[in-house]
Amino acid sequence: MPDVDAHAFDPHVYKDADVVAGLQAKIASLADEIGRPVKLMHICGTHEHEMGRFALRDLIPDTIEVLAGPGCPVCVCDNEYVNLAIQLSLRPDTIVTSFGDMLAVPGSIPLEGERRGDVRMSLLDARAEGGDVRTVYSVFDAATLAQENPDKEVVFFSVGFETTVVAVAAMLKRGVPDNLSIIEANYYTPPATNLLPTLDGFDIEGFILPGHAVTITGLRVYEHLPEQGIACAAGGFEPADVLVSIVALLEQIRDGTPRIDNPYNRLVKYDGNEKAKRELDEVFELAPIRWRGIAEIPASGYKLRPAYRRYAATDRFAGHLETLDLAGAEHPKGCRCAEVTLGQIRPDECGVFGKLCTPDAPYGPCMVSHEGTCRAWYLFGMGKEKIHVEVA
Amino acid sequence: MSKSPDDAPTAAADAPAGTPSGATAGRSRYGSVRLAHGSGGKLSLELIQELFVAEFGNAPLAELTDAAILENRPGRLAFCTDSHTVTPTFFPGGDIGRLAVAGTVNDLAVMGATPAYLTAAFLLEEGYDMEELERVVRSMKATADEAGVAIVAGDTKVLERGKGDGLFVNTAGVGFLPDDVRMGASEIRPGDKILVNGTLGDHGIAVMSRREGLDIGVDLESDVAPLTGLLARVREVAPNVRFMRDVTRGGLAAVGNEIVLDRPWGLRIFDVAVPIHDVVEDVSEMLGIDPLLAANEGKVLLVVPPDEADAALGAMKAHPHGREAAIIGDIVKEPAGTPIVETAYGSRRILEMPIEEQLPRIC
Ligand code: SF4
Ligand code: SF4
Repeated sequence: MPDVDAHAFDPHVYKDADVVAGLQAKIASLADEIGRPVKLMHICGTHEHEMGRFALRDLIPDTIEVLAGPGCPVCVCDNEYVNLAIQLSLRPDTIVTSFGDMLAVPGSIPLEGERRGDVRMSLLDARAEGGDVRTVYSVFDAATLAQENPDKEVVFFSVGFETTVVAVAAMLKRGVPDNLSIIEANYYTPPATNLLPTLDGFDIEGFILPGHAVTITGLRVYEHLPEQGIACAAGGFEPADVLVSIVALLEQIRDGTPRIDNPYNRLVKYDGNEKAKRELDEVFELAPIRWRGIAEIPASGYKLRPAYRRYAATDRFAGHLETLDLAGAEHPKGCRCAEVTLGQIRPDECGVFGKLCTPDAPYGPCMVSHEGTCRAWYLFGMGKEKIHVEVA
Repeated sequence: MSKSPDDAPTAAADAPAGTPSGATAGRSRYGSVRLAHGSGGKLSLELIQELFVAEFGNAPLAELTDAAILENRPGRLAFCTDSHTVTPTFFPGGDIGRLAVAGTVNDLAVMGATPAYLTAAFLLEEGYDMEELERVVRSMKATADEAGVAIVAGDTKVLERGKGDGLFVNTAGVGFLPDDVRMGASEIRPGDKILVNGTLGDHGIAVMSRREGLDIGVDLESDVAPLTGLLARVREVAPNVRFMRDVTRGGLAAVGNEIVLDRPWGLRIFDVAVPIHDVVEDVSEMLGIDPLLAANEGKVLLVVPPDEADAALGAMKAHPHGREAAIIGDIVKEPAGTPIVETAYGSRRILEMPIEEQLPRIC
């Protein structure tokens, strides 16, 4: 059997079937040793997607459940920002740009002539009503658009975690056209992750830390978690990466020694990427921000520093915007996205999953985004029993 | 001008691919498209005569009548149309012209028909570069020759600047389908093998990486090609092919879903058997895109009875457009109505149904 030591993991074998089989066996035996059900959580939309694509839940025993946490930037983006983007897009001479997924997420402005349930307006709906809304792949595209349209205001709806915000910081530092501004829906993961174990009824014993995000932040910022009794391992995205993280977590749980392991050490350093952190820090400062359906979490959002505030859409358009009362308007009726995001229920436990809510007619954000948990479950057929094949 | 249309494609095929048959430069006094090029007046005629007729050169077109008069052939007619828009217009391995011809030819060929005639309609934006248009037209001619079809009628419209995305091309095609050809999803049976003629996702990823300005520093070309010849060879050695479909937008995932939907059987793809170019694999990984959902323009999926699968595979491998052909899966009894993917690890998932255009992930 190939080497499956979580601490001496050869990065070149992360897709190899024998290695995966070895890890699978190791997980099975650890599950036996532990001898009771264990819940683990990953905090990354890409993890959920890859777990679906390689059907990794098929490979681990039923007693080991891996849930998805608040790891999708689209799903955690608060309505406040969606509403802001919609209002700006409906202004004359303003172009709102964002990533494709973000366009379909409903905010909390009621949609005239409602379609189903209490569906609310998305940027796509705004576009249908004459708003100028464009898809971009990055802030660079938005800057180009601003350059090409000097007589318009171009607003980049910046949604994402530290990985995406780094690019925005670099761009702003380099200088962008004056007619570009950004909506600051930028989220910093550690405060949210560190908050989870303090929630009522939280019963998850280990976290697979988000591989891309920790490349930037490093692992030190998660030191709260082992202190709260949570096992941690940095998780890469290949099948063996994910399984080896599970091995690391189960070992910690078996031994009762929560700590932070780094099986993804081919990319992740304990202190992260110093240069990226410096750039982030130059342009942004941490401030409280609302996580959709969760709460306002202190120091978990990236806001532009005073020297860069001229690029903040909220400042630039202050006075032109209606103030909206968001209370009670968080999610449409029957939508349980908040519980899905917190790992409190599985997508198929939501009453509208696959019925009123499907990827081509999403009800909640978790069904919209490519990194959304409900979407991945629906598309890859997760949550069902292992698929049984009968050949001719 | 008494050439029979039967000869027209063959006659056209005499000209070496890519060689312009008329003058190539300065055929219009204008370097770019003017509104008047679509007016029906002098400039329109000049464009049609000097570019389209000169380049596509065949008897029915040269008549410039309101409709091309074509000879009939025995069998049934297969008839289809498709409109094309692509950004960028020229991409590694092809351009919108090759795409427009190959796309329509392949739609006919996968039905078991022999493509014969095409029409071409151009929607041009005022200001579109005339030389680019010439390149597109030459590329269409070369592709038509390769496929053995003649472009026998057409249309030009010019849209005001800002109202068109440079260039749209519509092609419609007619092919002849022998009476005894029986193919279709309803012919499929459990136990049949699933084949593709080569690596998947090349077109989608090549176009996307060009559009994103990704300098991947390696040759990755679109696979755009007419598949007439390849499919004719396959049908000679595997006369009972049950089903063929060109794998275009939505990729393998779209076709896979389509052929099992509401059927009393399912389909299984072996992840590791699917040929994927290393570069496509890497770029997909980077962008967060599944190559099984990425577009192709020269790929076909075939369902073949088990005893003809090897012969079909051999015939494809011997053809330039099928060198990397592979058997990638089979038709199964259960789960019915659902396409599944089996990974190298023995785990199974549903082959996801593409919902919208593939977009790079946010983070
Ligand atoms: S930012 Fe990266 S690590 Fe975080 S959810 Fe997205 S893909 Fe995962
Ligand atoms: S199924 Fe739809 S409504 Fe329910 S939690 Fe998921 S995304 Fe939200």
